Amino acid sequence: MTAPLQRSEAPGDAGVPLADAPTPVGVLRRRAGTGHTASLYVGGAIAAVLVATALLSLFVHLGDPNATDLLGRLHSPDGAHLAGTDELGRDILARLVRGVRWSLGIGTIATAIAVTIGATLGTIGAWRPGIVRTLMVRSTDIGISFPFLVIAVVIVAVVGHGFWPLTLTLGVVAWPTMARVIYAQARGLCEREYVLAARLAGVGGLRSLLTHVLPPLVPHLQVMAAFTFADLLVAESGLSFLGLGAPLGEATWGNMLSASRAYLIQAPWMMLGPATAIVLAVLAANLVGDGLTARDHAKRSRSAA
Amino acid sequence: MSAMAGPAPLASPSPDTAARARPAMRLLARQLLNRVAQLVILLFVISSVLFVLLRLTGDPAVTIAGENATPDTLAAVRQQYGLDGSQLHQYLTFIGNLLHLDFGSSLATGQDALGMVGAQLPATLRLAVAAIILNALIAIPVGAWLGSRRRGVARESASFLITIAQGIPGYVVGLLLIQVFAVWLHVLPSVANGGFTSMILPALTLASFQVPKMVRVTAASVAEAGRADYILTATANGASPSTVVLRHALPNALLAVTAMLGAQFAFLLSGTLITEYLFNWPGLGLLMVNSVQRLDFPVVQAAVFVTAVMVFVVNVVMDIVFELADPRLRRSGA
Repeated sequence: MTAPLQRSEAPGDAGVPLADAPTPVGVLRRRAGTGHTASLYVGGAIAAVLVATALLSLFVHLGDPNATDLLGRLHSPDGAHLAGTDELGRDILARLVRGVRWSLGIGTIATAIAVTIGATLGTIGAWRPGIVRTLMVRSTDIGISFPFLVIAVVIVAVVGHGFWPLTLTLGVVAWPTMARVIYAQARGLCEREYVLAARLAGVGGLRSLLTHVLPPLVPHLQVMAAFTFADLLVAESGLSFLGLGAPLGEATWGNMLSASRAYLIQAPWMMLGPATAIVLAVLAANLVGDGLTARDHAKRSRSAA
Repeated sequence: MSAMAGPAPLASPSPDTAARARPAMRLLARQLLNRVAQLVILLFVISSVLFVLLRLTGDPAVTIAGENATPDTLAAVRQQYGLDGSQLHQYLTFIGNLLHLDFGSSLATGQDALGMVGAQLPATLRLAVAAIILNALIAIPVGAWLGSRRRGVARESASFLITIAQGIPGYVVGLLLIQVFAVWLHVLPSVANGGFTSMILPALTLASFQVPKMVRVTAASVAEAGRADYILTATANGASPSTVVLRHALPNALLAVTAMLGAQFAFLLSGTLITEYLFNWPGLGLLMVNSVQRLDFPVVQAAVFVTAVMVFVVNVVMDIVFELADPRLRRSGA
């Protein structure tokens, strides 16, 4: 991951994709390339279904997630309730659907915050040697050495429950890994000849940063964003599972799992529904991340050949 | 990536090792100093953030004593926590107390906060050690097998399974394990009872989300080592494939594996919040979750402090292990 980028965006790098050449090597490379596109497609498909569900639930009534029915509590899955009902007779499928909105919302916004902070600090650290770089590298080291879930638990306890406190906390505590990866990549880019040439030609520092350093970082940002999204999804439902994330009663996957603990014997479906949802969502993000990484490697080895 | 062309690792130490030992020790000392500085800054930042947040979000005395505290209780809390002076004075008192390792007493039980944390520590350590041993026993053989295999159906499907396993959060695994072994089969207890058997499910849960990562690292470094020249030499000399992997590739790959084990152990010492909560395991994580839930800030702070110190100790030990284990590092440090 730390190898400097070898991409054809660099002026002077005649990036001819050699994979199209009918050599045995080209054929092999192309075949090796199909594996990663598969994981990209599968991950993308699951993600698309989840996003579509979340969007659909905003406009179409897909069942009330909070309608209680005390006579129909702890019903196993059947025609009326495809995923069964919970301890208050609420429809689990409707709650799962509502939970998509919560999970994707927090995951997306918190990831965006982490990517923004991490990328900004990482590129600035790579670009400005001296005290700025030292500060950035040291604070990243410190941030990485301590598990962010512990800090998140403490902050959430003080700031309180709810969507925004949770989102902001997760976004703010998750930046160090991002900053470290982006710093390593940007550091290599800042030393590349075309960046130095641009600087010699009189291109200003900030403009050079935006037009020469940032674009080649985008693939790394995408990969990191996918994996961070997966991590934050797990962290969010974990916090809710501990009773420290979503407000009690809110239809979120973590809350549902937490409630299922007391009914593992009578109603195992209360656990299976949200567990499946979380695993699928995290798997989707990981597959997309893996696929993007592999696609990147394939592109790079093609342009390096 | 081309084969590594560096000096053959694990060669017999050069005769002038003693001469080089001094710069190496100096390097280690500098590293240690660095770690101490990191620890101090981390503790300072976390404590300060907590200090500010407690005041931004309302009256800390109310937060500490609870919404329906009487004025007398509030006054007592203010006095006990030095909340009656100016903000600056409060902050200085707060930091001063931290420097004396005085976290105050628990709001829930009245016991010394640091003492409560210390009492829970052995349980967490036991669980962490069990989980890391389990992790190494499962992940290193699987990783070595995976890393020494050529591309094929077996390897591809194994790595797909690992991707799936990586996406399963620990608490989901824990709930499934409870469902199967405690609810359906009735063979293992799901709640800590002091016995050895009650450690099996939580240790498995912890290992479950560390094993996939560990397998990946082991496989990658065994594959990397497999491309080195000395492997080619060993193979050319007629060593069997299993000898090549076990005697030559794996030992050289163990450096990355050890680094990963260290990182994962540090995580286990602090990141077991959810697993301990799930299995009611009487460790640091459970204490932290319970204290956070009842806003028992002295205990939370003591727990965060102890966690940071433990992570620090693991990191320092890892620094030293590396120094001793890998002659290559010593040479590059000189």
